[in-house]
Amino acid sequence: MIINHPLLGPRDAAEFIYLGDACLIDRPDWQAEDAAEQFYEYGYLRDNPAGEHQELWYHEQGDRSWLVVTRDTLSHKITKVELARDVAVARGRG
Amino acid sequence: MPEYTLISAPPLAGYDKDFTGAALKAPGDLAIVAVALPLKGEAAAKKAIKAAYGKALPEPGKSVASKDGARLVRLGQDAAFVIFTHATPDAEAVVGGKLKDTVYVTDQTDVWTGLEISGPNARTALERICPLDLHPAAFAVDDAYRTVMEHLGVLIIRTGEDAYLLLSASSSANSFLHAVETSITNVS
Repeated sequence: MIINHPLLGPRDAAEFIYLGDACLIDRPDWQAEDAAEQFYEYGYLRDNPAGEHQELWYHEQGDRSWLVVTRDTLSHKITKVELARDVAVARGRG
Repeated sequence: MPEYTLISAPPLAGYDKDFTGAALKAPGDLAIVAVALPLKGEAAAKKAIKAAYGKALPEPGKSVASKDGARLVRLGQDAAFVIFTHATPDAEAVVGGKLKDTVYVTDQTDVWTGLEISGPNARTALERICPLDLHPAAFAVDDAYRTVMEHLGVLIIRTGEDAYLLLSASSSANSFLHAVETSITNVS
């Protein structure tokens, strides 16, 4: 599998480590009323879609960047690769 | 009690060997300093680098040689290496002094070991162990990427038409040398 890194171009998947669902970017507020419930969901509950899935990949054998990869879990086709930093900034963080 | 004297020496110090169509050499006195651009301080850091080295910090995946022989290698969005020839163990202070307090510097000199591979067979030998596309159209002179060769992390810089500088962890230096030597022998 080839991941087209937004800064460095097409790279072999062997250079990356897969972390999981990109929802991990959205860490709940620990001071919220229902923080325990939110962290339970954040820590344990995941969707398991047959189709488009956003996931976090780490370019460990490369520039050490975190990426948000949009991949189809049925075909493994990758439609979008973004820097996680840019995704977080777009969501009003950083 | 006997007196011991410790001598500091890079793991592949003095290595220099000619093969058919390729030469492999461990460069002497290689100094490496990591430069991290502070968040929101990128503009000031880039300005200081330009002033100190006479060359702008290149884009990620590129490198540039400054007029005093140091090579600036941009590894990622906020990370770069300054690679230069320097015999004494104060490389961090040298780079830190030039760039003042605009960046974070970390001495990486002893962490990495260097190998220069050159000659008409150099690319053919590297193609067998490097997952990157090394065709001249895809990997131009001065391009610099981190990748893996034989499961070992490598920073590869194309320093000339047929010349590459490979940097890998000094703790596995001899395994890395073995991998590169084997590949050169297989194609020669």
